Amino acid sequence: MKLTVNGVEHEIDVDPRTLLVHAIREQVGLTGTHVGCLTGDCGACTVVVDGQTTKSCSVLALSAEGSAVETIESLADGDDLHPVQQAFWDEFGFQCGFCLPGMLLTAKELVESTPDPTDDDILRAIDGNLCRCTGYNTIVAAVRKAARS
Amino acid sequence: MRYTRPADVDGVTAALADGDAVVVGGGTMVVPEMTHGRVRPSAVVDLAKAGLAGIARDGDGWVIGAMTTYTELARSNVPLLATAARGITGGPQIRNRGTVGGSASYANPSSDVPAVLVALGARMRLARRGGAREVPAAEFFAGAFRTAREPDEVLTAITVPDTAAAPGYVKFKLVEGSWPIVTAAALAGPTIRVVLGGAAAAPVVVELERASWRARLRSEVDRLLTEPWDDVLAPGHYRARIAPVIAARAVAGALEEA
Amino acid sequence: MAALPARVGIGSSPRKRDGAALLTGRALFLDDHRPEGLLHAVVVRSEVAHGRIRAIDTAAAAAAPGVALVLTGAEAAKHAGPVPYFIDPAARGGNRTDIRCLQVDKVVHVGQPVAAVVAASRHEAQAAADLVRITYDVLPHVLDARAAMAQDAPRLYEDWPGNVVAHNRYGSGDPDAALAAADVVVEGELRIARTTTAPIEPRGYLASWQGDRLTVHASCQNPHQLRWMLSVSLGVDESRIRIVTAKVGGSFGLKMQGHPEETLVALLSLLADAPVKWVEDRRETLMAGAREQVHRFRVGATSDGRITGLVNEIVADIGALTAQAGWAMPNMSATTQPSGYAVQDVRVELDIVCTNKPPCNAARGFGKDAAHFVMERAVDLVARELGMDPAEVRRRNFVREFPYRTATGLNIDSGDFDGLLDKTLDAVDYAGIRRGQAESRERGRYLGVGLGFELTPESSDSPGTFVSGFDTTTVRMSVTGMVTVLTGVTSPGGGNDTGIAQIVATELGVPIEWVELVQGDTDRCPNGFGNFSGRSMVVGGGSATLAARDVRAKLLAVAARLFETSEVDIRDGIASGGGRELPVPEVARALLTRAFAIGDIEPVLESTRAYKPGNINHVPDELGRIQPYPTYSSSLHAAVVEVDAETGKVTLADYVMTHDCGTMINPALVEGQARGAVTMGLGSALSEQLVFAADGSLASNRFKSYLLPRAGDIPLLRMIHQVTPSPFAMHGNKGAGEAGVGGAQAAVANAVEDALAPFGVTVRGVPLSPPNVLALIDEARP
Ligand SMILES: Cc1cc2nc3c(=O)[nH]c(=O)nc-3n(C[C@H](O)[C@H](O)[C@H](O)COP(=O)(O)OP(=O)(O)OC[C@H]3O[C@@H](n4cnc5c(N)ncnc54)[C@H](O)[C@@H]3O)c2cc1C
Repeated sequence: MKLTVNGVEHEIDVDPRTLLVHAIREQVGLTGTHVGCLTGDCGACTVVVDGQTTKSCSVLALSAEGSAVETIESLADGDDLHPVQQAFWDEFGFQCGFCLPGMLLTAKELVESTPDPTDDDILRAIDGNLCRCTGYNTIVAAVRKAARS
Repeated sequence: MRYTRPADVDGVTAALADGDAVVVGGGTMVVPEMTHGRVRPSAVVDLAKAGLAGIARDGDGWVIGAMTTYTELARSNVPLLATAARGITGGPQIRNRGTVGGSASYANPSSDVPAVLVALGARMRLARRGGAREVPAAEFFAGAFRTAREPDEVLTAITVPDTAAAPGYVKFKLVEGSWPIVTAAALAGPTIRVVLGGAAAAPVVVELERASWRARLRSEVDRLLTEPWDDVLAPGHYRARIAPVIAARAVAGALEEA
Repeated sequence: MAALPARVGIGSSPRKRDGAALLTGRALFLDDHRPEGLLHAVVVRSEVAHGRIRAIDTAAAAAAPGVALVLTGAEAAKHAGPVPYFIDPAARGGNRTDIRCLQVDKVVHVGQPVAAVVAASRHEAQAAADLVRITYDVLPHVLDARAAMAQDAPRLYEDWPGNVVAHNRYGSGDPDAALAAADVVVEGELRIARTTTAPIEPRGYLASWQGDRLTVHASCQNPHQLRWMLSVSLGVDESRIRIVTAKVGGSFGLKMQGHPEETLVALLSLLADAPVKWVEDRRETLMAGAREQVHRFRVGATSDGRITGLVNEIVADIGALTAQAGWAMPNMSATTQPSGYAVQDVRVELDIVCTNKPPCNAARGFGKDAAHFVMERAVDLVARELGMDPAEVRRRNFVREFPYRTATGLNIDSGDFDGLLDKTLDAVDYAGIRRGQAESRERGRYLGVGLGFELTPESSDSPGTFVSGFDTTTVRMSVTGMVTVLTGVTSPGGGNDTGIAQIVATELGVPIEWVELVQGDTDRCPNGFGNFSGRSMVVGGGSATLAARDVRAKLLAVAARLFETSEVDIRDGIASGGGRELPVPEVARALLTRAFAIGDIEPVLESTRAYKPGNINHVPDELGRIQPYPTYSSSLHAAVVEVDAETGKVTLADYVMTHDCGTMINPALVEGQARGAVTMGLGSALSEQLVFAADGSLASNRFKSYLLPRAGDIPLLRMIHQVTPSPFAMHGNKGAGEAGVGGAQAAVANAVEDALAPFGVTVRGVPLSPPNVLALIDEARP
């Protein structure tokens, strides 16, 4: 199949059961998208498919054929961090960093679609992303800051 | 495992004709079930390109494509359903992907959509090779994870009639991330209908008079909710205990709007 | 804030140093490593809670596509011995059993490893694993600790006299007499349901052999101990084993070593003659218990609120025995009582009991959490009995003279508990809440406020084990002036690497950007003990300080020669003296390239030092008590809750934690640790619970049924700092990271009871999930 990730088309060989997250990690070789539960609950595998955040453990790779997939690796522009990434760094919005790629892509979708999000908007947006380290307060602060920048 | 992604409904019904294929809608439930071996299909029919998404007006109501996502529903003004869609958990990722048709077909007792559809008097459009039929939502939800859909059928759309009644929707969950424990979808018109979700294997319909609803609600719920749903999150007796409370909140919410 | 070392750095909050790699997805976690020729392992686990393995049929699995190897316990036992204990129960007078990487003839819990499959892909390994057929002679099982203590209960380990690993008694004085003489005696029972740490990254290992040398990449907290364990279980000398901890995606105790899969994966790689990786599925991660115990307590007090005696009987259900440290946690539940309250007549009886459930693994809090939960409940019950304010009862009983020897022998280094209480009450507006409470009750709203005090012994040292109270760091400056720090402590995500770099930069007087930190590689780092017990900044930071001071002294000596003056200084990467200046790299280069010209200064810019903090004392006193902790951080929590009395749902309205971990090296990282621990405590207080079906299988085996807090569940956790430096640690810093779990449980439980006071509810355990709270209300109703 052909899988387009971060604007690059990859010719890959997949079993029909292969999950999008595994295709991205193992065939395309981009390991910033993480596996935390494989049940759609933790959000560590979040990617953007055709402009919408999606949990890539709940999508068959074949189903993404013809779609534009974006992963965490596309967020920074070379060494220049995206404002959302910078805000997470400034606000200590992560500790171990495992949930971080999913959090960042989810936060980016929010700040792009909702210019001045309320705290409630932020909480609802990151509702599908589990973090076990931070207690979320600094993540909320980071999203708030990113929205304002 | 065979994988097909038909471009239209005819392609879907053809692929389902043998009755051994599993439908993938948004995939949010069925794909993880395949990963964990709870579903081991020999063939998969992916609805992604079958043209089943979107909400349209049709006469005195809506036609909602089975592949309409929660995100789309949340932006619509379909009563109750839009409210319920906004409250779906799992984050925007699930709301972007999970579909109304998938939720209905899955028929998980602990979910939002079934009770809402029953409250709205929705009808479910099913297609199979060479035929189609419509089933009222109240008949479609046959039990826990059971619907009136046959294995060779696909749910194509859900029709929802307009209503002048005032809507009220309340969902009770244990914490942010839990399945709904009890939901109540109320419509307050000349009479009041409130449908309980999560409380039993299938939605429970409670009909009440406006004048006497507060007095009658508890006894009606007790009478109708004979076999409350029981799972690892909450025992049946707990669901039975709070069902009238949640129902009353939904009705009160509807009446405030009226 | 207390006086900090004069130089810049310590006390400020630079951002995490590995931030860029993590933010861009470039950081490599365990599962991101994929060497050439990699094979994947899946573990076949017991489906029965208790049984004798009759037969294992591996034929179909071995013939399945892609399969390289199927291993059973009997075969594994030919190549690998038992996994050595991190803390051997026998050394503590308890019962032990051999822990194997795969069970040989008996299983004692659902999920215990019985066989393993190695195949070309994870998918093929899983498919083949499903074909392994195991037949058991099923034995009766027991899932409840009290039931397991009965004479006729099924025995997990047949050569033991029962299912009790150890019975211990702690305390001093005469609590029975104290209770008999008390004005009031209150008693209670508290059940702490089984929870789990659930880091978002599951556990995993990747082993490969090059000839007779083994390299293991691991998502693990303690690389040196893991090396020793593998050396013992595999019979390979330590010098031939290298452990590298990958980036660790959270751990919280779970990834301390002692798991069967560590030895297993190394052995699979040996037998398959290829690199083998194993990463847990979430259902496997969720099996690891964190805590489960029942406390029965009696406290006596005078009519003015002074607590005079305490008796506490603990039954701790650790599931099956493990080589991991987790089984020993309940000891800390006992010894941490009576926390920072001046009560000398205390008896704590502890039974550590095995049941047919998966083992409890080490977990943030390490049992101390339960001590606080119990004490704080006891204090509130005394207040209730006497009609006093709970804050006042705490004040009547706080320890005020330090160091203070507790009834169980701990020696509290320092603290200001009244200060914590004052700051917390003030911040939460305690008086205001009490006024508002009455009014909201009239409107049918149930608001409550609860306090939780915590005294957290940190940085422990357990004699004769690898729970070590010291650690070692090398600081090395290269000829270019760049600094490499190699340390024995590791970071599972909290950020101690940033803190240690800060310390080294501060001590040396160079910019933090010059400092590179290496952790978690047994071939590069000096012998060390990794991460546990809030130790990393105390002993990692302390040893880094000593080593950095050595290097600085050397640089100063060289500069003195170069400047021909004894008045020299180094700041911001510049050496100065006698009116001259030279960048530090020039000083380094001078020593290392002109050693003979410089004269009799030994030309090495490197030092390896260990740091042993004070206050630890392993000589038993007359009561046999030892003192294994240098520092005791303390905190006071206040939770404000609203309870929906119709559904039992508890909503957090406000939360304040006043935290005292002495000097803070990096306040932002301290807050991060504290908020994380509080959130874990809130989860266990309100929603988290591992539920087992009657057959011993885990019913809550995904994040839809094991409910971790999500963003919307957690209010702003307001942090207030108090700094009471420890006299026994290098920078006056105390451990941070464990405080929060027990304090949060206690504060929430007390707040819920306070909110529901009109019903007369008595809290008897956690989680206070809506069904449980409604049951409490029902029970209290006449
Ligand atoms: C993290 C998370 C949170 C969630 N939170 C909620 C919540 O708050 N409330 C709630 O109600 N639900 C919730 N869900 C479940 C959600 O309802 C479903 O995930 C979603 O709506 C199902 O839609 P889908 O299109 O993804 O279904 P799929 O997974 O694609 O399919 C589900 C089932 O329906 C069948 N199916 C799908 N479409 C059709 C069709 N058109 N015709 C015939 N059969 C079909 C499939 O074969 C499968 O058996 C949550 C799920 C997750 C993962």
